[in-house]
Amino acid sequence: MNLEKVIFGFFIVLAMTLNFGFFIGDIDNSTHHHVYELYAAIIVSLIATVLKFGDRTHVGAILLSTSLAADLQLIAAAILWAALSGKMDESSLTVYIVSLSGGALMANFVSVILLISETIGQRR
Amino acid sequence: MNSVLFLILRRLRRPLILIIVSFAISVIGLSLMPGVDDAGKPWQMSIFEAFYVISYTATTIGFGEVPYPFSQAQRLWMTFSIYFTVIPWVYAIGRIITLLQDPGLRLAMVTERFTNSVRSLQEPFYILCSYGESASLLAKALDEKDIRVVVIESQQDRINELELGNSHNIIPNLCADAKLPENLVRAGVHHPLCCGVVTLTDNDEVNLAVAVAVKLMNPSLPVLARAERDDIAANMASFGTDHIINPYTLFGDQLAMRVHALGTYILHEWLTDTPGDKLPPPEYPPLGRWVICGYGRFGKSVVKNLEREHISTTIIEAAPELTGCDNCIIGSGTEAKTLLEADINNAVGIVAGTDNDINNLSIVMTAFELNPKLFVVIRKNKHHNHALFKQFNADITMQPTDIIAHECLAHMISPLLAQFLELVRNQTNTWANQLISQLVSVVGESVPETWAVTINQKNAPAVTELLNNGTSVSLENLTQDPLNREQRLSLVPLMLSRNNQPLLVPDTSTKLMAGDCILFCGRPSAKSALPTLLNNTKILTYMIDGVEIPNSIVWMWFKNIKTAKKIKSVQSKF
Repeated sequence: MNLEKVIFGFFIVLAMTLNFGFFIGDIDNSTHHHVYELYAAIIVSLIATVLKFGDRTHVGAILLSTSLAADLQLIAAAILWAALSGKMDESSLTVYIVSLSGGALMANFVSVILLISETIGQRR
Repeated sequence: MNSVLFLILRRLRRPLILIIVSFAISVIGLSLMPGVDDAGKPWQMSIFEAFYVISYTATTIGFGEVPYPFSQAQRLWMTFSIYFTVIPWVYAIGRIITLLQDPGLRLAMVTERFTNSVRSLQEPFYILCSYGESASLLAKALDEKDIRVVVIESQQDRINELELGNSHNIIPNLCADAKLPENLVRAGVHHPLCCGVVTLTDNDEVNLAVAVAVKLMNPSLPVLARAERDDIAANMASFGTDHIINPYTLFGDQLAMRVHALGTYILHEWLTDTPGDKLPPPEYPPLGRWVICGYGRFGKSVVKNLEREHISTTIIEAAPELTGCDNCIIGSGTEAKTLLEADINNAVGIVAGTDNDINNLSIVMTAFELNPKLFVVIRKNKHHNHALFKQFNADITMQPTDIIAHECLAHMISPLLAQFLELVRNQTNTWANQLISQLVSVVGESVPETWAVTINQKNAPAVTELLNNGTSVSLENLTQDPLNREQRLSLVPLMLSRNNQPLLVPDTSTKLMAGDCILFCGRPSAKSALPTLLNNTKILTYMIDGVEIPNSIVWMWFKNIKTAKKIKSVQSKF
């Protein structure tokens, strides 16, 4: 049991699940999307990105790139929320935020699929 | 660069994770703590506001309690988060600074920068493996002639000297061992614009190692190596080192040249000197008996050459068994007694050739006291004694580094120049003197530029075009001034090489053929004016027959009509 691999896999999957948790629900209903879940998704996504640093293999490079893509979109969603929260009507703002997080979700999916394929590819 | 980046990223993982975790906990805690707004109603910070406050807390900036003064609960949490976030922050900054100072990282970055600057060179360049005295002289001379140079040197203080010196062009340099092939590759051995590798260290083994490495990696690249020992020189020659430079044999040859062909010697020196220096004054070594102090490699070479010129010699040597001297006076020559034993009063010249500068100076000073009319040849080993030698002002001062640098320059400026100088040695002294006076009258007394021109489509398109059309272009046309065809440029064609057959100092009426290579010697102004003649058909045609060709199609059409009318009117007369 390799502790490093446990932690690595844990954070990648946790990032995807938190992201999914935030994303799911009506796209324009702000009560379906809780701010703390977005917050948690961002934190865990950043940690997952940092864990992927410094890996010189091809798979490692693609994992890092998907993580960075997800981070970018989640942070953009957070900035949008903080900047525009009093200024425009709630449901259209929620649409923007949730669609950005949906994009981040796709990147996290790809990351998890790569993780799965790497794991299956190893015969141990 | 990629490996350096990955290294940095790996080492930054732990500090970054600590920062993220400490921030995460502090921000969420602060946003959950109950607060009071200015109207007294309960209020909680939004996540963004909490992130803002924690940001300026962790980085120890500390603006204040915004937007409303904090309640007790919030202040309690702030106290905790101050200690919790500042410590990882400071730790992360410390790690980043240590990382950037890591010597391995810095070496990797410096090497990377060097490799990139070599790769981006767009001009032909030479690689110098070492930056000792001869190499630094050579680098300076090449820099003056605008030839690029790349330097690998294993001692850091010599690199520092290189960086502090002024140079016209950037000289990429690396502090590394030149024997290692990977350093040679980094310096551009496989680069398409590399013209050659020069290795002039005073350690023959190192030169040999570099020559072998370069010949294996890129056999077509010219290698110039210094070798003072005959066995190493033979070793180098066996695998095809292009030019092996032995400063002692070179000096011996030069001394012989000075004795019997001073004009040739002056021509040789003048053409390979740094531009801007003046013509060396002629010094005729006298015929008679000479006293040679020191029978090392230098002494042996001098004796061999002088005896070939039928000059008798007396040798003074301190350790004859070591140097293999049969018939010599034992002693160092620094004391008057030994010199008197060598009958210094009846000698015409003295050569102080030991490898110790102070001994050499002492020898000649003692000798001068005994016989003030001596012709003095002194060997100068280290440049830092320069002031002493200049003060003494011997008739000939031999410095190995100068000789090596001149010889290298002869090969590097243009292969035609080396060929020319070799042919010059076989000419008579009178011929050389005539050439010198011709050159001085056209070019002046300062050291001229020497360059080669090939008559082909790429380098001389105008000439090629005219030759293809059947117009004859003579060498004289290339010496005319583009600004005024009656005047001549300040240059002289030294040699014309046609089908590998050289022709020394060709007559200006010689007709040019495609594929010719011409070696010119002249002032820098002439060197920059010549390409106009080689590239511009209009100007060259004007030089040849003095008739202007019109520029535009319209005018040419006019001219054709006029010429046609003229022909018609002439024809109608008959």
